[in-house]
Amino acid sequence: MRCFSSIGAAFLLCIVCGTAAHAGQTEPLTVVSWGGAYEASQRAAYFEPFTAETGVPIKVVQYDGGIDDLRAHIERTGGKPTWDVIDMALADAESACDAGLIASFDPAVLAPAPNDTPASEDFLDDAIGRCWIAQLVYSTVLAYDERAFPGLKPRTVADFFDIKQFPGKRALQRAPIAVLEWALLSYDVPRAQIYNLLSTKRGLDLAFRRLDQLRGHIVWWSDGSAPPTLLQQGEAAMASGYNGRFFYAIVEQDAPIAMIWDGQLIDYSTWAIVAGADDRALAERFVRFATRAEKLATQARLISYGPTRASARERIGTYIGSNIPMSAHLPTAPRHLESAIRQDHRWYATTERLRRRRWKLWIDSLPDSDRPPE
Amino acid sequence: MDRPANWSAYRMAALSAVGLVVGAIAALLAIAFVDLIGLMNAVLLIAPHARVQMDDSSGVLTAATVLVPALGGVVVGLIVQSLVDERRALGPPDTILTVQTGGLPPRIRSGIASTAAALVSLGCGASVGQYGPLVYLGTIIGAVASRLRVGLADLQSVAIACGVAAAISTAFNAPIAGIVFAHEVILRHFSLRAFAPVTVASGTGYVIANVIFDREPLFLVRFGGVEHAHEFVLFALVGVFGAMVAVAYMRFLAVGAWLADRLPGPAALRPGFAGLALGLVALQLPEVLGVGTETLRFTTIDGAFEIGELAALLIAKILLTALCIGFGFVGGVFSPALLIGALFGALGGAAVGIVFPGGYSGVAVYAVCGMTAVFSPVIGGPLTAIMIVFELTRSYDLTVAAMVAVVFSNLLANRLFGRSLFDVQLAGRGFDLSMGRDRAILQNRRVTEVSSVSGPVADPQEPLREALVRIASAGRSEAPVVDAAGIYRGLIRAGSLATSCPDALVADVVTDEGLVFDQTTTVWEALERMRHFVGDAAAVVESDSKRFLGTVTEAAVIGAYLDTAQSLKREEHAVL
Repeated sequence: MRCFSSIGAAFLLCIVCGTAAHAGQTEPLTVVSWGGAYEASQRAAYFEPFTAETGVPIKVVQYDGGIDDLRAHIERTGGKPTWDVIDMALADAESACDAGLIASFDPAVLAPAPNDTPASEDFLDDAIGRCWIAQLVYSTVLAYDERAFPGLKPRTVADFFDIKQFPGKRALQRAPIAVLEWALLSYDVPRAQIYNLLSTKRGLDLAFRRLDQLRGHIVWWSDGSAPPTLLQQGEAAMASGYNGRFFYAIVEQDAPIAMIWDGQLIDYSTWAIVAGADDRALAERFVRFATRAEKLATQARLISYGPTRASARERIGTYIGSNIPMSAHLPTAPRHLESAIRQDHRWYATTERLRRRRWKLWIDSLPDSDRPPE
Repeated sequence: MDRPANWSAYRMAALSAVGLVVGAIAALLAIAFVDLIGLMNAVLLIAPHARVQMDDSSGVLTAATVLVPALGGVVVGLIVQSLVDERRALGPPDTILTVQTGGLPPRIRSGIASTAAALVSLGCGASVGQYGPLVYLGTIIGAVASRLRVGLADLQSVAIACGVAAAISTAFNAPIAGIVFAHEVILRHFSLRAFAPVTVASGTGYVIANVIFDREPLFLVRFGGVEHAHEFVLFALVGVFGAMVAVAYMRFLAVGAWLADRLPGPAALRPGFAGLALGLVALQLPEVLGVGTETLRFTTIDGAFEIGELAALLIAKILLTALCIGFGFVGGVFSPALLIGALFGALGGAAVGIVFPGGYSGVAVYAVCGMTAVFSPVIGGPLTAIMIVFELTRSYDLTVAAMVAVVFSNLLANRLFGRSLFDVQLAGRGFDLSMGRDRAILQNRRVTEVSSVSGPVADPQEPLREALVRIASAGRSEAPVVDAAGIYRGLIRAGSLATSCPDALVADVVTDEGLVFDQTTTVWEALERMRHFVGDAAAVVESDSKRFLGTVTEAAVIGAYLDTAQSLKREEHAVL
């Protein structure tokens, strides 16, 4: 008996050794993500469970979106990137796919739903792309500091541009994302026509003319975790930002922040595998793991972003550790969708250079106080 | 016809079914037509949304801007010249003529070819409208449906009106405007027999567009209301000047056609020239390409245009539309009129903003007033115009403002030009609807339809006495003289015996007095010329050979007039 137990103990020890040895030998999987509350939710929902299941540690690299960082990394490593999987906004994934920075995506990687519904039927129609799998719906929204507007509250996108009625600094992302749509929306342009009008020189001129109204009142952000902080610290009265980050600040930090859902820009966040990643099979294994219904549902209970697969949405429930039902706080809640703009990803990907050119011209025309630090 | 006891219930059901089926098919085809145009505009780099995505490759964009309309024009020219019997675009005037006169519509094959040519024209960015072709698409569906043998009176006009109403209702997402347009512009009367199925068809189109395909309204404009009472005077002024713009637009359309007729070279190449000219202008002014939905929207936004830009675009759009339509692109005059009117209105609004900076409700209401002031006289539909504004903008305040502009614009344009472009075009083809439907119908009928060959006829070589006896015994006092070769020689009258010798021949007394019609004479013309006619009957002869075709009595002509008047009365007051 004793002998048996010692054999058993030795055997067990061996497994532990083996795992440890494996972990020691295996290069960690490098996942590129966005930091802050969002990354924390990914860590809890995906990274830690993945390591527990496979023994492969995950190294997280942070970036602020776009494709420049990825392009620089691939160039710097001579086409042998150390980054494996990257979390990208859909429009960036389009651009990166066009530029060959991310690998083509094989839908067979995806796990079926728990009830065996094939992934292709379980995910939203346009979620499975050429080089990516869209995993969650997030939105870029406007929010304000409740303390800054004790009386009349801003309710619409037009109010964001109305410095007279709603004075105070505006925190804006340092990129031509969402803000051009909002500028045009403030002229009462129907949402369905926004991208058609922004496609003309006249439309862009109008949008930038609206942005001119914010001259002298701008605070810039580039890291997605900044906007709630800027509002909380009173550095800005209104801010653009990601809905999940504001939600987190409101619920977890009791921040005096309110969101304006009018004109929320709905976008997808995707997983993509970096082109030339050394262990593609492992990267695919991670994507399969992180897009399982239960895992997606777990993340949605940690941050108010909506999963793109039906079986995951059914499993969301309440915010972890509370009685707050998450579905009402998602960008896809019916009352939030009434005035939502769906981002035209193809348009974003193909107009990137134009938008940046016009953006730079505008930035250069700003007073020094509004210039973003280089 | 054997009528069952529940005949009116049958008619009610049959008419509703016609409305439903014609409405559904017309709506689906209208959606397909509009979507195909959108697809072609995207692929062929006409739509700004597609053009901006090629911003980095300006060479491709320049080539597409010039070549797409030019080559599209060549294709359109070939389709029209080889597949359309009429060798011209078919459109609302043909619909109106068919419905108003009860005649046969152009052949279905011609209609389909014309619609295909319209698709190419619009897809390639020609400065033409999409609603004219859609109206004609509805007409084709209605014309096909009217061939069904369901035993209903006036089925053709009702079915065509159904098709038109559904097409307009679907394309504009405006069911009430569809009904009003079909009645005001196409049917031109309000009978319950037509109203019921047209309403069913229009409703069907709306359901398909809105519920099944979930289309957004085209032109939602948020408007806070007219802020100053004096602005209603300004809206009336927009109406007055809008009428002048409309008249100028319609006159330029005629000039375009006049110019095209004088151009050497095959007709099939003319649209290509127009396309080339359009493309070259579009290199500087891309707004002139296509239907111009984006530009239309910009006219409602304060400060979107400089005054000079508005004026330049207004003139360019008028001239290029006249060129495109005159030179044979297939398309309507309505969408360009919308844009021209809105540009004009925005121009007026900008001027008002300068003169009364404080007393002004923004440019949107002026753009909408200008739009309706220009397009309503073009289509001859003031009520339709008001309904379209109401349904497109969903704003009561804008509708009331537009109403003021529409009234003055229609009054003035009617004096300066005519009821509508369509009516003036039809009058040019010999069908003057301004004097009433009965006249148009009788102008469309030949006197040969009511002539007869049964009356007595005299031979020149026959003894006069014998001939006169024969004429008298037939109860007549005169007869046409026709020789052995069947050629009409004149007339003999009963009184001629008294002034001639007893054994005279018919040839000795034949006179060429008397009324003579030929095979081209219309019933209406006969009616006019018989106004002071005294005699039994007028002869009808073949115009070149003078071959005798028969005689037509005053009674037959008046009978035809009364029949027409009565059948119109029946149609226009029919209940079911």
